[in-house]
Amino acid sequence: MELIGLIHQKYKIVSIIGMAKNAGKTVALNRIIEDAYDRDINLGITSTGRDGERTDVLTNTEKPAIYASDGNIIATTTGSIDRSDATIEIIEITKYRSPMGNIVLGRVIDGGYIEIAGPQTIKEMKDISDRILELGAELVLVDGSLNRIAVADPTITEGAVLATGAVLSRSMDRVIEETLHKKTLLGLPEIEENLKEKLDGTKDICIIDESYNINKLDIKTSLNSGKIIADNIDETSKYIFIPGSLVTKTLKDITESSKLYKDVTIVVPDGTKVFIGPKDWLKFMKRGVKVKVINTINVVAITLNPYSPLGYYFNPEDFREKMSSYIKDLPVFDVMM
Amino acid sequence: MAVEKVDLTRVKPYGDTLNDGMMQTSFTLPIPYNDESKEAARLLAKKMGLEDPEVVHYADLGVGYTFFVVYGKCQHTIDYTKIEVPKVEVDSMDKYGVEDYIKENIKRDITIIGACTGTDAHTVGIDAIMNMKGFDGHYGLERYKGIEAINMGSQVPNEELVAKAIELDADAILVSQIVTQKNVHIPNLTELVELLEAEGLRDKIVLVCGGPRLSHELAKELGYDAGFGTGSFANDVASFIVTEIVERDLV
Repeated sequence: MELIGLIHQKYKIVSIIGMAKNAGKTVALNRIIEDAYDRDINLGITSTGRDGERTDVLTNTEKPAIYASDGNIIATTTGSIDRSDATIEIIEITKYRSPMGNIVLGRVIDGGYIEIAGPQTIKEMKDISDRILELGAELVLVDGSLNRIAVADPTITEGAVLATGAVLSRSMDRVIEETLHKKTLLGLPEIEENLKEKLDGTKDICIIDESYNINKLDIKTSLNSGKIIADNIDETSKYIFIPGSLVTKTLKDITESSKLYKDVTIVVPDGTKVFIGPKDWLKFMKRGVKVKVINTINVVAITLNPYSPLGYYFNPEDFREKMSSYIKDLPVFDVMM
Repeated sequence: MAVEKVDLTRVKPYGDTLNDGMMQTSFTLPIPYNDESKEAARLLAKKMGLEDPEVVHYADLGVGYTFFVVYGKCQHTIDYTKIEVPKVEVDSMDKYGVEDYIKENIKRDITIIGACTGTDAHTVGIDAIMNMKGFDGHYGLERYKGIEAINMGSQVPNEELVAKAIELDADAILVSQIVTQKNVHIPNLTELVELLEAEGLRDKIVLVCGGPRLSHELAKELGYDAGFGTGSFANDVASFIVTEIVERDLV
């Protein structure tokens, strides 16, 4: 099975997000690009960070080059265009800014290696991706950077490839634990349609009761407000909707301030809004905390990089087998093989 | 003059004589203080490419660790004439220029929050930019008319910083961070970006990072609007923030 087969005709905008730097995002991206070329799929390519530059800014390790074919639509910065050896027709210099210059939309006229560096915020990324589709790409690939996953928000990109690898830890078990946790968060279950309709467009933190009556709280953020949220829960409360982030401290304050936390489900927009580590998460789950989302993230596959630039590696077969034994519902690819 | 004899296309370390390649390196190994560890240090230096390495000093650090100083001859040369270092180009205004710019183009006071986040306790950088007295003849942001500057200090958790930004409806966040060799601070810097995205604030705020190893290239990857390295002053940072507020329609 090829990665592209899991994406093509199912999704139009797909992100490649990583658990860490050097988890193999760009290698996974290149695999999809190659397969798309074989199948004659016209791609759009962009990145939340910077890709295709020869050496990494942090580790000075060599980074994989990115090859764009004739017809591909790319979004990159003015500075990166000069450093690409593909011939690129500039379609538009957008108003979106980045530390490396404004974001440019271009069409590849003569294939070659490119440096891509797209918009800095997810809203801009959504807009740019839509523009790339309008310009004729069938599938837009958004490469992530470092461990940033915000772009996997399902209102921004429709599907996500999660890259993980040995770089996370010298212990394979730890890598698997962290990856499973991330997968759990990304795949948090959705609330029922009726409630979704009720919450549509809500920007406020609110408590919802059994009859879907919404009580909007007068707080701008859940950060440092766990106690206030807990104080507003009563026996009739069924859901707490938090339109922003859910961090460990907020959840801790809620569970410590109200015994009723077990009777309510906490609802966040999607898994990228949850900032809770594996150990704390397990503790909360054991205590009966329930978290659901408005949109589950469609993780299409998990890719593995058994090599760490820190100078150690896992046995590729063992790594893949062990990861697959824990992740049965998703395809696991070793992108280095 | 010795300088005349230097071949700038093949520069090598200088010890006692030109081009002898002599260099000194020091490191700690997590092994006990004994003859075997001394040999380990010598072999390591050899692997690093040093010719004739010699352990000239070693000391027991306790807890089974040993510190070494090794001399050796470097075999490599550098072509100094081909070196190009990209310099960050910012059209900086001075303090008064920034103040006038705010008055003319933003027409209200702006709020800038600064902090060393996560485990970072190195406040030298943020203090140099924020504190009234400033640094090296450049007054800090606290002294600027039209700028409400809040310095949250060191080891500020990202969530506290974001909560503060929401509370004060901040226009810009300035994070100072020492990106260490092991890059442990990178996830801390990206977490702030992700939190701001989750809170729906990223598009409404100018996000700037600063520190010894930060650059605009790294800022791009981290998801920041700019990255200021060493040699940047309050007026450079302020110039960037105020122009960005105007260019991004955040007035």
